[in-house]
Amino acid sequence: MRRGLKIAILTAAGIICLLLGMGVGSVSIPVADMAAIVRCRLSGAALPQDIPAITASILWNLRMPRAIMAFLTGAALAAGGAVMQSVLRNPLASGYTLGVSSGASLTAAAAILTGFTLPLLGRYTLALCGFLGGLGTVFLAIALATRFDRNLENTTVILTGMVLSLFVNAILTVLTAFSHEHLQQLVFWQMGSFSGQSWQNCGVLLALLLPCLLVLVRYGREMDLMTFGEEQALSAGVELKRVKLLLIAVSALLTGSAVAFVGVIGFVDLISPHVARRIFGSNHRLLIPMSALFGGTFMVLADLLARTVVSPRELAVGAVTALVGAPFFAYVYFGRRRRERGA
Amino acid sequence: MLELRGVCAGYGGVEVLHDVSCAFLPGSCWCVLGPNGCGKTTLLRAMAGLIPHRGQVLLEGREIGDMKRRELAGKIAVMSQVNAVYFPYTVYDTVMLGRYQHIRASLFGGPSPEDRAAVERCLAFTGLSDLRRRGLDELSGGQRQRVFLAQALAQDPQTILLDEPTNHLDVKHQVELVDYLRDWCADGRHAVVGVLHDVNLALRLSRNVLFMSQGRIVRSGNFTEIADAPFLHSLYGMDLSGFMRQSLALWKDIP
Repeated sequence: MRRGLKIAILTAAGIICLLLGMGVGSVSIPVADMAAIVRCRLSGAALPQDIPAITASILWNLRMPRAIMAFLTGAALAAGGAVMQSVLRNPLASGYTLGVSSGASLTAAAAILTGFTLPLLGRYTLALCGFLGGLGTVFLAIALATRFDRNLENTTVILTGMVLSLFVNAILTVLTAFSHEHLQQLVFWQMGSFSGQSWQNCGVLLALLLPCLLVLVRYGREMDLMTFGEEQALSAGVELKRVKLLLIAVSALLTGSAVAFVGVIGFVDLISPHVARRIFGSNHRLLIPMSALFGGTFMVLADLLARTVVSPRELAVGAVTALVGAPFFAYVYFGRRRRERGA
Repeated sequence: MLELRGVCAGYGGVEVLHDVSCAFLPGSCWCVLGPNGCGKTTLLRAMAGLIPHRGQVLLEGREIGDMKRRELAGKIAVMSQVNAVYFPYTVYDTVMLGRYQHIRASLFGGPSPEDRAAVERCLAFTGLSDLRRRGLDELSGGQRQRVFLAQALAQDPQTILLDEPTNHLDVKHQVELVDYLRDWCADGRHAVVGVLHDVNLALRLSRNVLFMSQGRIVRSGNFTEIADAPFLHSLYGMDLSGFMRQSLALWKDIP
């Protein structure tokens, strides 16, 4: 199949999933009504007679920001994961397995609990906290792993990330216990949720996601070379130290800011790059945007399941992604070991 | 010309290479011989700028530490033993990565017609033209190593440094690889410096030999002029020439 056709199919799937995410629920809204509501909202005109105001409000204030936020989060996490896998040459790496997500959630939770806002940044404070927490954790994980094993074997890195991630999660749990008023919010947050997302959050995340994606596409060839090994990349002409630092920072920014808004959602960042690589090949200039597209689509679907399967109650979306993701992780890990032994 | 003057290098504060000086002219192939741990690979890595060094590594009179990576990559390519391929790139894409330093860094910029032509030449030279759409994970060890040779050639360097690239290859592919490189060198503009474990294979690459021991160059020059049985015995800690003669006698006995 030609590449353009594959991209078109994935894009179409993404749009269909977004429409499903907005249309399906306790009140189902047909596509035609959605179009009418959006048109009226944007132009300020009155709603048509046959659409109740409550439906319009559900779509515009609840479902649309929620679905769009899910898409943006999935895209950010997936792109961040693809970078981690390339930079660390590790098919098991992702923001989740390296503890970036946990670190980000801890600092963001601390910011929420203390009600801390930076003067000029306003809405971006939470994203910044997530970024710093995520960045701090990933450097800590890599530093610790280097200490134990100078060759940075795949398993060591993942194990260190997991241990760190559990530890940071425990700190968050302890914090939670001390804070009764935010208890519910924090507990739900540890597994991730898209409920109560606003258009403003969508705006902030989009404003971070787009430039990050552009930077990553620009450094696609560098990432390609880095997957062959650091010395290979160096001798092919990559300014390795600078590029590596930049890429890890961008990845942490993507993961950290997504987590700061919606909590910890695992496995999307692990699965999406693998699926995208299967379909589109390993070339990062294509792989990064396609991972993002797939991750976004996947996340919208996961969120749709999370809020409809046991309706009217809601599952944590992290539980849905983990149900799919954990077996997939095992498949990648054991499939890889089998191949290595066979080789 | 690539020249080393009083170069010292090592890892984590431990110096492995002590005060090494040597020079490699275009059009010459050299092999570095010596027992395990004598600093052969470290010498190569210092020459490629992969590890920091004291002293001078000069490329056409300029210190390589002062050069941009991109510039250096246009002059020196390294081919080592890549054991793990984590993600399935195609043969064509892998060789194109060798053009990295020639392709302008930009958001939408891609390879120029010149880059494509260079990749085609390298694919043809290494006999990979028919395999271009294959993934690296579908290739045999020998084919894969040829892909990395093509990638190094695509860099269009003056010098290729070989760091045991023939490990795990069977004899046919080892000899093929060495012959490719000898041919590449034969035009008088290129140079190859190789670290190869197998002494016979190394001598097939070139008669120009640097003998190393304990981080120093102990003898260098034409193999037949500088090597003798007692020297090799003390260098390798075994009677190397006796061993080779024994093997040769065995081969002479079969029809």
